[in-house]
Amino acid sequence: MIPRWPNRDTWFLIALGGALGFYVLLILAMLVVDAAYTRFDVIWRAVHDPDILFAVKLSVFSCTISALLSVLVAVPIGYLMSRMRFPGRTLIDVCLDIPIVLPPLVIGLSLLILFQTSAGRALESWFQALTGSRITYEVPAVILAQFMVACAFAVRTMRATFDQTNPRAEQVALTLGCTRAQAFRLVALPEAWKGVITAGTLAWARALGEFGPILVFAGATRQRTEVLSTTVFLELSVGRLDTAVAVSLLMILIAVLVLVLVRRWGALGEGAR
Amino acid sequence: MNRTRTRRLRLFGFVAVVAIVLTVTWPGHRTAPAAGTTPREHLLLYCAAGIRDPIQSIIADYAKEYGVTVDVQYGGSGTLLSNLQVARRGDLYLAADAKHMEEASTRGLVHETIPLASQHLVLAVKRGNPAGVHTLTDLVRPGLRVAYANPEVAAAGKAIRAVLEKANLWEQAHAQAAVFKPTVNDVLNDVVLGAVDVGVVWDPLLAGQPLLEAVKLPELTARRDQIRLGLLDSSTHPTQALHFARFVSARDRGLTTFTRFGYQVESGDRWEDHPALTLYSGGVNRVAIQETLRDFERREGCTVRVNYNGCGILLSQMKALPDGDAFPDAYLACDVSFLDPIADRFGERTLLSQTEVIILVPSANPHGIKRLNDLAQPGLRVGLCNAEQSTLGALTQRILTKLDLVAAIEPNVRSRTPTGDLLVTQLDTGSLDAVVVYRANATAVLDRHTALGINLPEARAVQPYAVAKQAQHAQLANRLLAALDGVSSRKRYLAAGFTQPTP
Amino acid sequence: MLRISKLTVEAGTFSLRDINLHVPQGSYAILMGATGLGKTTLLEAICGLRRLTHGTIQLDGRAVEALPARERGIGYVPQDLALFTTMTVAENIGFALHIRHVPASEEQARVQELANLLGISQLLERMPAALSGGEKQRVALGRALAAKPRVLLLDEPFSALDDQTREDMYALMRAVRHATGATVLHVTHSRSEAQALGDHRLVLDQGRIVEQTPQVPATAPTSST
Repeated sequence: MIPRWPNRDTWFLIALGGALGFYVLLILAMLVVDAAYTRFDVIWRAVHDPDILFAVKLSVFSCTISALLSVLVAVPIGYLMSRMRFPGRTLIDVCLDIPIVLPPLVIGLSLLILFQTSAGRALESWFQALTGSRITYEVPAVILAQFMVACAFAVRTMRATFDQTNPRAEQVALTLGCTRAQAFRLVALPEAWKGVITAGTLAWARALGEFGPILVFAGATRQRTEVLSTTVFLELSVGRLDTAVAVSLLMILIAVLVLVLVRRWGALGEGAR
Repeated sequence: MNRTRTRRLRLFGFVAVVAIVLTVTWPGHRTAPAAGTTPREHLLLYCAAGIRDPIQSIIADYAKEYGVTVDVQYGGSGTLLSNLQVARRGDLYLAADAKHMEEASTRGLVHETIPLASQHLVLAVKRGNPAGVHTLTDLVRPGLRVAYANPEVAAAGKAIRAVLEKANLWEQAHAQAAVFKPTVNDVLNDVVLGAVDVGVVWDPLLAGQPLLEAVKLPELTARRDQIRLGLLDSSTHPTQALHFARFVSARDRGLTTFTRFGYQVESGDRWEDHPALTLYSGGVNRVAIQETLRDFERREGCTVRVNYNGCGILLSQMKALPDGDAFPDAYLACDVSFLDPIADRFGERTLLSQTEVIILVPSANPHGIKRLNDLAQPGLRVGLCNAEQSTLGALTQRILTKLDLVAAIEPNVRSRTPTGDLLVTQLDTGSLDAVVVYRANATAVLDRHTALGINLPEARAVQPYAVAKQAQHAQLANRLLAALDGVSSRKRYLAAGFTQPTP
Repeated sequence: MLRISKLTVEAGTFSLRDINLHVPQGSYAILMGATGLGKTTLLEAICGLRRLTHGTIQLDGRAVEALPARERGIGYVPQDLALFTTMTVAENIGFALHIRHVPASEEQARVQELANLLGISQLLERMPAALSGGEKQRVALGRALAAKPRVLLLDEPFSALDDQTREDMYALMRAVRHATGATVLHVTHSRSEAQALGDHRLVLDQGRIVEQTPQVPATAPTSST
C-alpha cells in the first residue's frame, strides 16, 4: 500500500532536499557568476600565456607528488593510530592535527625559518648534493608546503577509514599464518582501499588550493615556483580581476577533471570485485 | 587467479598514467634564454692598451672555460672611442678611466658599464732613479726628457694633464715634453729603451719591469682613475657579451687576475654562469616593472627571482632571514617608510618612482565628491586601506590625521583591506562609493572611474631601490637599477600610473 | 588436544584468573557462561591475540603460549565471522594456504574439497557481501579449516541463525568433525546447542572454569537439562 501523499515523511524528504539544493545552488551560482565576470578572450589569452601554462604544469606536477607522498605517509600513520595503543598516543594525536588548525601562512613562515637554522641548512645542502636543486624558493619548497597541509587531511581520512574496518579480520589473518605486515597488506589495506582513494584525492585537492605557505616559503616566481593558486593571488593583487577569475575557472576545471577521473578509476576497482 | 591479474593490471595502469603525467609536467631547469640564435664564438673587445696584460690572461681563462674567443683591438682609450664610433661594430669597450666611459655613454655608444679596478699614475724611471726625479715640479726641470701619453687619445695623458693643470705646470710641461705617445705602453717602452728619462704611466704597468722603478708622487696617488668595462650599443650578441663582462668583473674570476697584476680592484659579484638575482618588491610595483625585469633577464642571461608582496610582509620576511643566499640582493619598497626599518642592511637608496594617493570614484560621481572632506557625507560607503598592513593605509591615515578628518570619515568606512587593488575591485563591483588608493592601482579602470588628486605633499608614496650590503650580486643589482631607470622602463612606469619622484 | 594451566589474562574491565581446562584429542568441548564474562577473551588468548599475564597453553603436547598467533596452528571463527570482504569465497577459504605459498593447484584442490564438505561449491566465486548468514558461516568455517588446524575455536557461531539453518549447521559440524577429526572448543550460551554437539561441557563463571563434565553426545533427546 502506498502511503498517502503528502505525509510527514514527505516533509522530511523536502527538508533534506532543501539542504542539498541550497548548498549545491550556492556552489553553482558562484561558478556561473565567475564565468560571467570574465570574457572568453581573457580565458583564451590566459590559456595561451606561457607563464600560466607553466603554472598549470607545475600545479599538476606538485599536487600529484604531494598527494602521493601524503598517502604514502598517511596510510601507515592512520593504521598505527587506529590499531595500536602506545604511551603518548593522545599527545601525538593532537600533534597530527596541528597543521589543520594552524593558519597556512604560519606553516610557510615556520618552514622558511626552519631552513635557515644550521640543521635546516645542512639538510638543504645534502638535498642539493643529491638532486642538484635547492629547497627554499624552488619547486621542492612548493611540494613541501603543499605536503605539510595535505598530509594532515590525508591522515585524518585514513585514521577514520581504519577505525571503520574490522580489526577482527586482521586478527583472523594472523591466526591463519600472517605476520602483522602481511595482515596489513593483504587484509587491512584492501579493505581500506576506498579510504585511500579519498585520502589521495582530498590531499590533491587541498594541495591545489593551498597558497599561503607556498607564497611565503617558495615565493611566487614566474616560470619557477608559480602555481595556479598563487597566480590567482598575484593577478588579484594587481587588480587584474578578469584574469584572476579566468585562472580560477581553469583551476576548477582541472580539479573537477582529476577528481572525476580518479573516482572513476577507483570505482572500476569496485566493479571488478 | 584472473582477479589478481586484473587487479595488477589496473594498478600498473595507474602507475603508468601517474608516471606519464609527472614526466610531462616535470619542471625542467630553465636554460639561459638565448638572445640571438646560436651563441657566437667570437666577441670583439676594444681595450685600452695599458690594460693589455691582465685582459690577455682573462681572455685565455674565459676561452678555456667557455670556449668563446674574444678578439681585441688595443689602443688609447680615446682612439678606441673614435674607432668604434666610426666602425659601429664590436661588443665591448674597456676604458682606462671613467671619463672616457662617460663620454661613450653620452654619445650613446655604450649601454651597461661595470667598474673593474682602479689605478693611479706614477713616474717610470730607470732603476736607481738616475735622473733624480722626486717631485712634480721636477717634471719641468730643464734638460729632463719626459714622455707623456697623448691627452687627446689616452686616459693616462688626460690624467696627467689634469694634475699638471691643477699645479699650473701644464703649459710648461707641454712645451718641454720630449714626446707624446699614442699609448701608455709606448711611453713605457721609451723609458725602457732609454729614449727618455721619465715616463708618466699607470702603476700596474711597472709590475713586470725589473729594469724600471716607480716614483710615487702624492698628487698622482691622490687621484685614482677607474677602469670600466662597457657594453656597446652596436653589439649584436649582448647576452653573450654580458656573460663575458660578468666574467671579467667577477671577484673569483677576472678580478683575481687584475689583483695579480697589481691593480686595486672594485668589489665584484661572485661568478655564476647563469646568476640568479633575488629581488623583493612591493606588490604595487609589479605591473610597472614586470616587462623590464623580463627584458633584463633575457639581456643579461640571468634569472630574477621576484618576491612580490605587501611591504609589511616583506619586511617581516627579511627580518627573519640572516645574511646569506636567501636574503634578497635588492629591495624595491612601496615607500621609503618601508625601507627605513631595515635600512641598516642595505646600501644607499635610489628613489626610483613615485605614485600619488588619490580618491577614486565612479565616473558618474553621483555624490559629487571633489575633496577628502566630501568623504564624510552621511551614508557614503568608503573604502580605505588598513594602516598597519599597508603603506597606502599608513599614508592615508597620516593624511586624514593632518586634515583632522579621521573621526568624521570613520562611520562611513565600510571596508578596510590590506591592498589598494582590492579596494579598486570593490569599487568596480559597485559595493563602495569612493576609495582612497594609489594612482598606480587605478590605471586599469580609468576608463570607467575618475581619479581625484589630493593636494598634499604627504599624499604620495616614493619607491626606493636599495642593494643589500651583503649582496652576492651587487653589480648585477646595480645594473638592474640602471635598467629600471632607463627609457623604456620609464615609459612603462608612466603607463602604470607612476611618475618620477619629485624632490 | 588442548590443555590450559593456570592461565591468567588482564583485560581491562575484568580478568581471567587461573583458568585450567583440558580438552582431549578429537573431542568436542562446549564452553558456556553468561555473556560478557570473558569467553571471547579466553579464545583470543588461546589464539595468541591477547597477552597472557601467566599460564601455559599446550596444543598436542606442544607449549604454544610463547609463540605468535601464526605459528600456533589454530583455526578461529570469531563471533562476527570477519570474512575478508575484498576477496572471493574461494580466496577466503584458500587464504591460509596462499600465505604458506602452497602451489595454486594444490590450493584449489583443497578449497574444492572443503567447499564440497561444507556444501558451498556453487558459491566459490561470490563475494562475502552476497552471501546469506548461513552461507557466511560455512565460508568462515572453511577458511578456518583450510590449513588443517590442530584445534578449532568457534565463538557463538550459530547465535544469529534461524532454527532450521541451525539444525543444518549441527549436522554439518558433526560431518566436519567426522571428516577432520579436529579438536573443537565451541563457545555458546544455548543449552540445546551444547547438548546437540558437545561431548564435554565447560562453564566459565566469574573468571574461572567451574564445571568440567564429560557429556554424552545427544543423539536422542535426553531427560537431563
